Amino acid sequence: MKGFGPLLKKEIMEQLRTYRVVVVGGVFLLFGLTTPLLLKYLPEFIKLAGEQMQITVPPPTAAQSLVEYSGTIGQIGVLVAVLVAMGCVANELQRGTAVITLSKPATRAAFVTAKLAAMSLTFLASLAVSSAVCLGYTVWLIGPADAQSFLALNLLVAVFLVFCLAVTVLFSSLFRSSLAAGGTSIGLLVAQAGLSVLPFIGDYMPGKLLGWGNALFVGTKSYWPAFAITVILSVLCVYAAQRALKNKEM
Amino acid sequence: MTAIKTEGLTKKYGAVTALDHLDLEVPDNVVFGFLGPNGAGKTTTVRLLTGFSRPTSGSCWVAGEKVGEGNLGLQAKTGLLPDVPSFYPWMSGREFMRYVGELHGLRPQENDRRAEELLELVELRKAAGRRIGGYSRGMRQRLGVAQALVNHPKVLFMDEPTSALDPIGRREILALIQRLTESASIFMSTHILSDVERVCSVVGIVDKGKLLTVSTVEGLREKYARSVFEIEFIEDAAQFADSLKKVPWISESKLVPGNGDQKLRVRAAEVEKARKELPQLIASSGLTLCRYELVMPDLEEIFMEILSSGGGR
Repeated sequence: MKGFGPLLKKEIMEQLRTYRVVVVGGVFLLFGLTTPLLLKYLPEFIKLAGEQMQITVPPPTAAQSLVEYSGTIGQIGVLVAVLVAMGCVANELQRGTAVITLSKPATRAAFVTAKLAAMSLTFLASLAVSSAVCLGYTVWLIGPADAQSFLALNLLVAVFLVFCLAVTVLFSSLFRSSLAAGGTSIGLLVAQAGLSVLPFIGDYMPGKLLGWGNALFVGTKSYWPAFAITVILSVLCVYAAQRALKNKEM
Repeated sequence: MTAIKTEGLTKKYGAVTALDHLDLEVPDNVVFGFLGPNGAGKTTTVRLLTGFSRPTSGSCWVAGEKVGEGNLGLQAKTGLLPDVPSFYPWMSGREFMRYVGELHGLRPQENDRRAEELLELVELRKAAGRRIGGYSRGMRQRLGVAQALVNHPKVLFMDEPTSALDPIGRREILALIQRLTESASIFMSTHILSDVERVCSVVGIVDKGKLLTVSTVEGLREKYARSVFEIEFIEDAAQFADSLKKVPWISESKLVPGNGDQKLRVRAAEVEKARKELPQLIASSGLTLCRYELVMPDLEEIFMEILSSGGGR
């Protein structure tokens, strides 16, 4: 992992200078702010829609708001993760900046890991801020919330988002085109989401983490195998990405 | 000592042989010009020597290090200027130099000092605070040279360092290369003959993946010098030029523009015979001789001759 320190520093600098932190943070924050607000005022919106309509909406609960927010982050987060990570290696290979960096004493493993680490930091920081805002806003607008379950839910969402980033980093290392990397990543992540709703096999899919997180508020069963598989797959993605880079002609 | 050594280095892309059994030794502290037309295998060789491409067969050593997967010792001892150096456009020149220094493990103070020293060397100190995205092509090329020198490399690879530059940019980079020869061996791939003539002490000529010859520039000149004669007459020599074409030991005879009048340029297939018999032919032509000279051909002529003969001379 020689060169990891300077590479991580450069990647973090890049996240800041190219406004990726602002974009990811902004998107997450938008949902953190709007989810409790929409739930709180949904009955009012329906009333405004017309007097002819007779729809009764039960009063929103804090758990509903937090689960709704996490569900949205889980879905939109996948898309944002793929968009942010799809060019991270492919673009460097295409533009030739990878050659300049890797002609210095830095390993391929450090090159790939630093990218994943910096992007993960961006996503985790954005998730932490937007979740804190969402929790505060929910308590203020709707009522007391189960913060412990929400924290656990966020940890599961975080693990899932890092997995999405790791998958995209792998495909970005395999392809020279960021579009090919992004398209393949989306395809694979959608496929695993589809599999995660199936009986038995679904319990072992990374996508199950989101369902598990949402169910934490009602205390249903846990899915530790899915958690372990997600972590193992993320590590394998990083390993495969650096192998792919070693085998690549530049 | 040897800066670069290759043994049977071969690279194939499917059915295409980009480099064919390259056996090469480049001594220390020379500027080695690796000369060849486009597609000759120059960039492939640089990629193989810097570890960015794996050979189909054969081996190579650079600065005493075996080139192979994961040998970071090689990167610590070498510098690379790719044909089109690319940088992170959001970084400033100074930030990029410090980033490279950190990758080479320089301590902060030493890193700052080295960055400033090299920015000064490539005359980028004034622009060092600006974003690289706003640099001109020449400035990027000079930054490329600076970043390749951070670690005081023993061997510096420069792939077509002047090909995309304007005449002023070319002159600056060549002057810089000349200044670097005291501290490093330079492997410069190029197709620009005048660059080789100006800065290289040793030259290797490659075509279609094969190394045709390796020699000093002077050695090449001496080897190829005696085959060309330039002759000037007071009268028109067109008829005489045509008659020489029929002589078996003359390979080429043509009139070329000279200083004012045309001059006759004769290339001999058999040099010794030409030296003995050409003066006799001139005497018997009845023309009035103004000048008769065995000329030193320029590198372009040598290059074309080597390529056309496949290095067989």
